[in-house]
Amino acid sequence: MSLALSTLIYEWRRYMAAVIALAVAGLLVLSLVGMFMGIGKNFTATIDRSPADLMVLPPDSQGFGSSQPRRNIPTLYQHPEVVEVMPYTQRWAMWANFPSPGQSAKRDGVQVIIVDPIAGAVTLPNDFPEDVILALQEPYSVVVDATSLAKLGVKVGDKAQMNGRTVNVRATITNYPSLFNSMVFMSRQTAKLLNLYDEGPRVGSLLVKLRDPARAAIVAKELNDMGNKQFRAWTREDLARENQAEMFKESFIVIMLGFMLIVGVFIGVVITWQTLQGAILANIKEFASLRALGVSMGNLNLIIMELSFWVGVAGLLMTGILLVGVTALANAVGLTMFYPLWSIITIAIMLLTIAVISGLLSLGVLKKSQPADLLR
Amino acid sequence: MTGKLAIEAKGLTKSYKIGKIKQPVLKEVNFTAYHGQVTMVMGPSGSGKSTLIAALSGLMKPDEGEVIALGESLWKKKKAKIDQFRLDHCGFIFQGFNLFPALNATQQVEQVLKYCKVKKGEAKKRAVQALTEVGLDKRLKQTPSALSGGEKQRVAIARALSKNPQLLFADEPTSALDSVSGQVVIKLLHRAAKEHGAAVIVVTHDPRLEAYADRVIHMEDGQILSDTFVNRPEDVPPSAPHA
Ligand SMILES: Nc1ncnc2c1ncn2[C@@H]1O[C@H](COP(=O)(O)OP(=O)(O)OP(=O)(O)O)[C@@H](O)[C@H]1O
Ligand SMILES: [Mg+2]
Repeated sequence: MSLALSTLIYEWRRYMAAVIALAVAGLLVLSLVGMFMGIGKNFTATIDRSPADLMVLPPDSQGFGSSQPRRNIPTLYQHPEVVEVMPYTQRWAMWANFPSPGQSAKRDGVQVIIVDPIAGAVTLPNDFPEDVILALQEPYSVVVDATSLAKLGVKVGDKAQMNGRTVNVRATITNYPSLFNSMVFMSRQTAKLLNLYDEGPRVGSLLVKLRDPARAAIVAKELNDMGNKQFRAWTREDLARENQAEMFKESFIVIMLGFMLIVGVFIGVVITWQTLQGAILANIKEFASLRALGVSMGNLNLIIMELSFWVGVAGLLMTGILLVGVTALANAVGLTMFYPLWSIITIAIMLLTIAVISGLLSLGVLKKSQPADLLR
Repeated sequence: MTGKLAIEAKGLTKSYKIGKIKQPVLKEVNFTAYHGQVTMVMGPSGSGKSTLIAALSGLMKPDEGEVIALGESLWKKKKAKIDQFRLDHCGFIFQGFNLFPALNATQQVEQVLKYCKVKKGEAKKRAVQALTEVGLDKRLKQTPSALSGGEKQRVAIARALSKNPQLLFADEPTSALDSVSGQVVIKLLHRAAKEHGAAVIVVTHDPRLEAYADRVIHMEDGQILSDTFVNRPEDVPPSAPHA
C-alpha cells in the first residue's frame, strides 16, 4: 500500500471533514437530480410499463396533457402493422374514505388511470398480476399502490367514495408510488359508471401496439410521414429520453442544479484544500526528512496528489453510502429517486476534480518542508 | 575505501542577517572527513555545528567556500542534481525521528528505497535486513506509536543505512534518548563506518560518545578550535591538516 493511502486510512479522522464535504457536495447535486428524475419517472410509470410499442402524441407536445382529435385513431389503423390503438386516459377525481370509528376522514384529489383489464391489452401495465386484473374486471372496483393506502385512509377490502359513488378497494400493486396525488386504477367500464370516461372528439395520448415490436422505430417514422404533422409517434425509449431532456430545459431545475453544483464545488474545494493543508503540515517534518534523504520535490508533490485522489475516492464512497440513506428515506415518504448513469459519472468526475484541485492548491505548503530546519 | 578522503570543504562561510546586523555563523571553515571513520563534531550551543553539517551535506548553500564530496563539487551542481546526490550517497539522522505515523518499520525503510529505484521485492529484503542489523527484527510490523524513542531512532537509522550511503550525517542523534539507547545508536553509527566504510559525521553534546569517535573536532564561534585523531587514517600524515 502506498504512503498516501496508508496515511489516509491511518489518520482517517483528520480527513473526515474533507470526505464529508465532498460527500455532501456530491449528495446535494445527485439527490436533486435523483429527485427530479424520480418524479419524472413516476409520472411516466404507467407509460413505461405499458405494453405499447409506440406512443402517439399531439405534434407539438412531448409530455402528456394536450390533446389530439379522436380521428387520428382510424388514421393510425391504416398502417398495416398497427394491431391496436387505445387512448391513454387519465382523469382527476375526488376521493373520500368511509372512516371507521377512531379513524380520521380523508379527502384528496386522485389521478384516475383507466385500463382495460384483459391480458395483453395495450392500456394494461405489464406488471399487473393475474388477481389484480381479475379484481379490476368487477364493476366499481379500484386498485391502488400499497404505499398510497395510508394517504387514502383505506385498506384492501374497504369501500371508498369517488365522485360521490361508492367503489371497492379490491387489491394493491407495488412500484406505483406517488409523492403528490395517489394513482387509482380502474377499468374503462367502472370509469363510465363514475362518469369519468366519455367518447368525446378529443383524446390525449394514444397507445399503439404493433405486429412486430422490433420494428417500432421504423414504423414510428412511417406513421409520422403518413400523419402529415397531425400527430407524432414516439418509441418508448425516445419518449423517455425526450422527457428527461425536457425536464432539464426547465430553467428552474437548471438554475437549482447549477446553484447546487457551484455551492458544492466551492464547499468541497475549500474544505478539502484546508484539510489537506493541515494534514501536510502535520507531517511536514517527515516530508522534510524524505527531502533530506534526496527525494525530490516532484515526488513529494506526487504523494500529495495521490493523497488528494484517494480523498476524492473516499468522498465518492461516502456519497454512495449517504445516497443509499437518502434514497431509503425518500422511498419511505413515497418519493421515487432515480439516478441515471450520466449523473453518477458526472458526480464521480466532479468529486475527483474537486479533490485534485484541492491537492494542487495544497502543494504550496510542501515548500515548508525545508530539510535544513531538521538540523537544530 | 576505508581511510580515503570522503569530504573536503574549504573556506566555508555563512552568516545570517538579523535586522541590519550580519551575524557570521561559519567563518572560513576548512573540514575533512574520511571513509570508515566516525568524525565527531562538538562545541557549545550556537557554535555553528548544525550549519556546518547543512553546508557539507547539500542542505544549505554556504555564502562562500567549496565542498568536494566523493570527488564532486557539491555546490556547483544544480538543485535537482544535489537532490540526486543526496539520494545516491547521503544518509541523515536527526534529533527527531521524523517517521510517518501511518507506516510500520518495514514500510518506513521501503518508502525511501522506492525512490532509489530499488525493486519491490529487493526493497523488502533490504528493509528487513537493515532493521535486523539495528536489532529490530522483532518490530518489523510496528508503527511509530508502538515503538520506544530508542527504537524509533533505530528505525530512522535503518532507513538511512538501507541505501548504503557513503556519507552519513547525524545531528544530535542521541539527545532525545536515555543513555542506554544512546549507546546502542552510537554503536550502530560506528558499525556503519567500520563495516560499510561510510564517512560518519556526528554532531553531539554528549561526551560519553567520544569513546566511539575516530576523530574529535571542537568548534566554537563558527571556527574549528581543535581537531584530534584517535585513529589516524593511512592517508593522513602525522602533521594532520588543521583548521
Ligand atoms: N535560520 C536562521 N536564521 C538566523 N540565525 C540562525 C538561523 N539558523 C541558525 N542561526 C544562528 O546560527 C548560529 C549557529 O546555529 P547552529 O544551529 O549551527 O548552532 P549549533 O552549533 O548547531 O547549536 P546547538 O548545539 O544548539 O544545536 C546560532 O547562533 C543560530 O542562532
Ligand atoms: Mg545544532
